[in-house]
Amino acid sequence: MRIKVLINDFKASILTWKRSKGTLFWTIAFPIILILIFGAIFSGQSVEYDIHINDLDNSQHSHQLISIMNETGVLKPHTVDITSNITAYMKNEDIARLLEIPKGYGQALEAALSGSTSPITLTYYFDPSEQSSSSIVRSIISDMLQRLNLQYTQGRTLVELKDESTITEEFGFIDFFIPGMIGFTIMQSCIYGSIERNTKFRKDGILRKLLTTPITRSEWIFSKMLFMLFLSFISTILIGIVGWLVWGVSIHVTPLMIIIIIATSFLFSGMGMLIGRFVKEEETADTAGGAISFPMMFLAGTFFPLDQMPEALQTFARVLPLYYVNEGLRNAMIYMKFNDALINTFAVLIFAAVFFIAGVVLTKWHED
Amino acid sequence: MQLRLQCPHCGHIESYDGTPGTRIVVSCLSCGQQGQISFPFNHETAGVPAIEVSNLKKQYGTLTAVNGISFTVQQGEIFAFLGPNGAGKTTTVEMIESIRKPTQGQVKILGKDINTSFDEIKHRIGILPQEFKSFERLTVRETLEYFSVLYDKSADIDEILKAMDLVDQRKKLYGNLSGGLKQRVGVAISLVNDPDIVFLDEPTTGLDPKARREVWQVIANLRNRGKTVFLTTHYMEEAEYLADHIAIIHKGNIIAEGSLDDLISRYGKGNVLRIRNCSTQDAIETLRINGFDVISEGNGDIAIPINYKERVLEILSQLRHDCIEYDSIDIRRSNLEEVFLTLT
Ligand SMILES: Nc1ncnc2c1ncn2[C@@H]1O[C@H](COP(=O)(O)OP(=O)(O)OP(=O)(O)O)[C@@H](O)[C@H]1O
Ligand SMILES: [Mg+2]
Repeated sequence: MRIKVLINDFKASILTWKRSKGTLFWTIAFPIILILIFGAIFSGQSVEYDIHINDLDNSQHSHQLISIMNETGVLKPHTVDITSNITAYMKNEDIARLLEIPKGYGQALEAALSGSTSPITLTYYFDPSEQSSSSIVRSIISDMLQRLNLQYTQGRTLVELKDESTITEEFGFIDFFIPGMIGFTIMQSCIYGSIERNTKFRKDGILRKLLTTPITRSEWIFSKMLFMLFLSFISTILIGIVGWLVWGVSIHVTPLMIIIIIATSFLFSGMGMLIGRFVKEEETADTAGGAISFPMMFLAGTFFPLDQMPEALQTFARVLPLYYVNEGLRNAMIYMKFNDALINTFAVLIFAAVFFIAGVVLTKWHED
Repeated sequence: MQLRLQCPHCGHIESYDGTPGTRIVVSCLSCGQQGQISFPFNHETAGVPAIEVSNLKKQYGTLTAVNGISFTVQQGEIFAFLGPNGAGKTTTVEMIESIRKPTQGQVKILGKDINTSFDEIKHRIGILPQEFKSFERLTVRETLEYFSVLYDKSADIDEILKAMDLVDQRKKLYGNLSGGLKQRVGVAISLVNDPDIVFLDEPTTGLDPKARREVWQVIANLRNRGKTVFLTTHYMEEAEYLADHIAIIHKGNIIAEGSLDDLISRYGKGNVLRIRNCSTQDAIETLRINGFDVISEGNGDIAIPINYKERVLEILSQLRHDCIEYDSIDIRRSNLEEVFLTLT
């Protein structure tokens, strides 16, 4: 492999990329726009919020609290009756917010009226992936309790609110979304990039021309991969910076994250080569690329958590390479779950090896 | 050695003798334009044919695209491989370029078998594939640089730009060029490694007449640079204008081969003088009496086959002598088209 040939082709790819408004849009502007739009949608939730109430006290006082909530016009309480694991229940029933009124709430209020203050704690359970709406509801409830305290004890704390996240750390939708966006963008640019190299360049005779020059197959592939990696890291950095600046997402740069990004680039470049191998027309191949990547984007939990989807689809997601990319990136750069990230990385590496090798081996370099 | 060169100024073709490896200054015998020519120097390949094809065959299922053809191209000549659409031109040229695998047969380039020595041959050839389009968003100069870096030894890009008349376009993006300019860049790309043999597959298809002539000029120029040119085309005029040596391929077979003059004298119907709008009966009579072979074409037109040019004068003076009036005359030269129609 000759370095000057690699640099030469890499330089040509960069110039081409820089000069193409279309690819610049898809690789840079599009992901950023999407982050801004999605972030805005999920941070400015609309007027009425559901809140489930597990009323263990079931007293006149607790009923009164619920009806005050109802009167706010912002909260919409639904009473439930749960004795078992609340977190599991919320997950199963797809409930984002739940307030638990403990037994003894009414008694505590009665006692306060007669002068003895023994504080009592309500628990607020919420799903962190709907961070913004959860915190709005939380502030409404704590405001109500504040007034209650004032009324019963002239301000000394009688009723407290305790938070209970369904995940231990507080991650919001955008934390979930940013790694997905990175995986998706890398997937798109690698698939379309290698489709172009294997269909348009074949049709235009560039591949035939190159066969009669001393450039080797590995120089040609390797220099392209160099460029794909460049694009992948540019996208990652940009998306990361926007996520951090605009939505305050804290991103950790870890070795596993970098390994996943590299492997992902090889994975989807290989997939693009395979598509270009079997679909010869550039436009048709682009359509085929979209037909594969778009459903995968939704099914692999890029924008929405998989647990909101039906069981069958969740199982299906586990055969999709993008699923492991998404999960791996989340665990490696946001949630910092090292063991899970390691497993995901391993899966991505296997997919990458299979697709990339298949792509290189099956691509037809010579004409019939 | 001898080089047959065409004057870039007036188009006059002349042969020059010289020692391989030297340069001489010559002036055109027709217009006086001065220029420098160099005689390529190459020990190993001196006297070896540029391309030898023997019994080359390509089968696609039941279709025989190329049917066991053989021919030889000498160094320094423009060889036109002429044939209609689907005749098997691209299949042949791409087998020679090692892009497609022959079903059967052998190809040698500069004496070396392409099966065993293609890595070496790559440095000696430059190709322009059919319907070639380069990277759209590189400039002309960047494009030439891109391809030249692929070779270990390469030609001077500025010199190529000048020779292909592309200096003014060097900073333009390839994608924004007209069809004719694109093809000229394509030819220029095939020169970046200073090859001995240049393969051009239909370089002027789809171009307007003016752009076509400009590409012809560029190709004629290659001969002046001592290159062997393998030109694939379906335009008869192109072969007539450029080629030293023509092979006509039809349905996978070579049906005729030789120089333009060879082909015309063997398969042409000869030249014909046509006289328009004369008093037909009188003219036929007087010419027949004087031993001319006259054909009436109706509408007052007559046609007379002529074998040598003095005949034209004889005919015209005979008509004048008999006071026979006519509107106009024209001479239809026997051409490749006629050769082709005779053969197929
Ligand atoms: N890859 C292929 N598979 C099957 N048939 C082919 C293939 N390539 C060419 N052919 C057939 O072989 C014949 C010769 O094709 P070829 O492209 O060599 O013709 P050509 O002389 O270059 O024509 P054109 O002037 O259109 O370029 C045609 O009938 C064509 O359909
Ligand atoms: Mg062809």
